[in-house]
Amino acid sequence: MAQLDITGVAKTFGAVDVLRDINLNIRSGEFVVFVGPSGCGKSTLLRIISGLEEVTAGELRLDGERLNDVDPARRGTAMVFQSYALYPHMTAAENMGFSLKMAGARKSEIREKVGKAAAILQLERHMDRRPGQLSGGQKQRVAIGRAIVREPKVFLFDEPLSNLDAELRVQMRAELIDLHRRLKTTMIYVTHDQVEAMTLADRMVVLNGGVIQQCGRPLDLYDDPDNRFVAGFIGSPKMNFLSATVREVRPDAIVLDDIGGSSASLVVPFRGFDPSGRTVEIGIRPEHVRLAPSNERLDGDVEVEVTLVEELGDVTYVHASMPTGERVIARSDDARHRAETPSRIRLDPSRFLLFDAAGRRIRQSGAA
Amino acid sequence: MTIALEATESRRRRWPTITAWDLCRWALAISVTIVVVFPIWWMINVVFTEPGTPVSINPRLYPTSFAAGWDKVAMILRETGYLHAYYMSMAYALLTIAGVLLLGSMAAFEFALFEFPGKRPLFGLIMLSLMVPTAVTIIPTYLLTADLGWINTMQGLVAPGLASAFGLFLLVEFMKGLPKEMIEAARLDGARHFQIYWHVVLPLTRNAMVTLAILTFMKTWGNFIWPLIVLSNAEKYTVSQVVGLFNAPFSHQTVDVVMTANLLAAIPPLLFFLIFQRKIVEGIAMSGSKG
Ligand SMILES: Nc1ncnc2c1ncn2[C@@H]1O[C@H](COP(=O)(O)OP(=O)(O)OP(=O)(O)O)[C@@H](O)[C@H]1O
Ligand SMILES: [Mg+2]
Repeated sequence: MAQLDITGVAKTFGAVDVLRDINLNIRSGEFVVFVGPSGCGKSTLLRIISGLEEVTAGELRLDGERLNDVDPARRGTAMVFQSYALYPHMTAAENMGFSLKMAGARKSEIREKVGKAAAILQLERHMDRRPGQLSGGQKQRVAIGRAIVREPKVFLFDEPLSNLDAELRVQMRAELIDLHRRLKTTMIYVTHDQVEAMTLADRMVVLNGGVIQQCGRPLDLYDDPDNRFVAGFIGSPKMNFLSATVREVRPDAIVLDDIGGSSASLVVPFRGFDPSGRTVEIGIRPEHVRLAPSNERLDGDVEVEVTLVEELGDVTYVHASMPTGERVIARSDDARHRAETPSRIRLDPSRFLLFDAAGRRIRQSGAA
Repeated sequence: MTIALEATESRRRRWPTITAWDLCRWALAISVTIVVVFPIWWMINVVFTEPGTPVSINPRLYPTSFAAGWDKVAMILRETGYLHAYYMSMAYALLTIAGVLLLGSMAAFEFALFEFPGKRPLFGLIMLSLMVPTAVTIIPTYLLTADLGWINTMQGLVAPGLASAFGLFLLVEFMKGLPKEMIEAARLDGARHFQIYWHVVLPLTRNAMVTLAILTFMKTWGNFIWPLIVLSNAEKYTVSQVVGLFNAPFSHQTVDVVMTANLLAAIPPLLFFLIFQRKIVEGIAMSGSKG
């Protein structure tokens, strides 16, 4: 069991607020991913959990026991660093057994535990090599092995894959998921790569500016973001954001005008819109923006200037610019060798997410 | 394909062209070599020559009698306290090296990797002492040593050289290059403060330590003034002092014997240099480029 409770944690460096009022409960065995742009405080939060950094305010509890003043080595957490932080003068086996040696364990015990971890990570053949003689992926495994040997209650990973090439990263991702299944230990993982976050996480915590923006299952965050930041951060290519004016509010729909400065007007199913809001921002994912067939013209179609066509084989992303200069990306699955000619795009109003001027999500009310 | 062909073509055609600049550089390098090597060669030349052969009036640039030189060496080792002086110098050098490495590495560990109040001014103060010439500090140091009753003792000889500001500087610069995350990893692995020093930092600082050891050896072996001041008892003289005796203005020794004494003094550092040549060059480059 390893339930980690973070309550009201704040951290300042000098006069800079790096983390503000972080509240988070991490269940035993959960794979939680902290994700956010560079400098948002992910690493700081992880280092606070590990004990390398002290909190300015707030409390950490692991299984109810207060952690704040517990020595980093005795917290039951083990950390894997982005730079691996292996000891270059020790062999892989010595690296992995170092914590046990420091704890005064017997040689036979060290050998046994290190051997077990090496078997889990398929590192047996490399155990007497030094880090300098290992490849990036192997170094990463040794670093993970060093954590496993300590049998922690919580694993902490700080961007462990970002030094690996793309192919290896995908492979290591799969191995981490497998490792988590086998060990069933709580894992907290920091990354700024949202694809990594989506694929690994049971639960994703999106941070920005030292504040938790939203926390939930990856697809819940994808489909139902709380604010414009989360909507824009998750998903690749990014969600499109278009300004619009509310022309008419009906009980179960609103009519939007002026979408991206175009003359199109769309009826958006929406229950209980607060009529005081006059302008909104529409968020719509590229997969819900289509190119209108040239032989068919609908009312809501928007004329756009195509600026770039990205043909990836399975999909084609058409980048276009709206009359207001806002950019929009449309996804097309069948177009091939498209020219960058003016086109019409068709937005799917049922997929619109609406945000207010402050970037907060406007949710329907009274809906079932 | 054509590009590859052209490349090999041009490589074949490119003869090493010797420019005037190259010639100048060679000339300069050769002259420097002559200036540096000639005195040593001359010393060997004088020593390995029959005594009485007037080397300087009728110059000859090669040694003529190995046996004669060997006789002089044997005579000096037999009839003066040279062997004991070797022992003194060696002890002086090795103890100083041990002290400089131990104190330097422990201090550098704190200065380079941890924060503590007053760290910056303290380090500044130590670095400032690098600017103070030995001539200024030697009298106070002597008085202090005398007060401790350490005149004519090994501890009096060694103690003032144990803490080296230069050594601290060198090691701090080196240790600053160690990744912080590695130290943190060691902390998370449960290593105590001293264990981090002993198991992680010290092994990784080995290169810098070797460099510092070599530089310290060179410095203590050649140190003349401090042993001269602190060791007045002729039975405790170091090599540099014994050589000093031979070279003294009213020394009754002939020039070839004096040269033999000099040669004997020069052999340990020469051997040292030949063995550790690469490390020494690296070390000097390291201490220079990071300054
Ligand atoms: N020791 C420190 N002293 C002062 N400021 C710090 C310190 N450590 C971190 N910061 C600041 O705190 C903020 C958050 O840093 P942190 O390392 O947690 O970011 P991050 O989310 O991990 O970013 P990245 O994705 O680039 O690793 C940054 O603005 C950083 O400059
Ligand atoms: Mg970080």
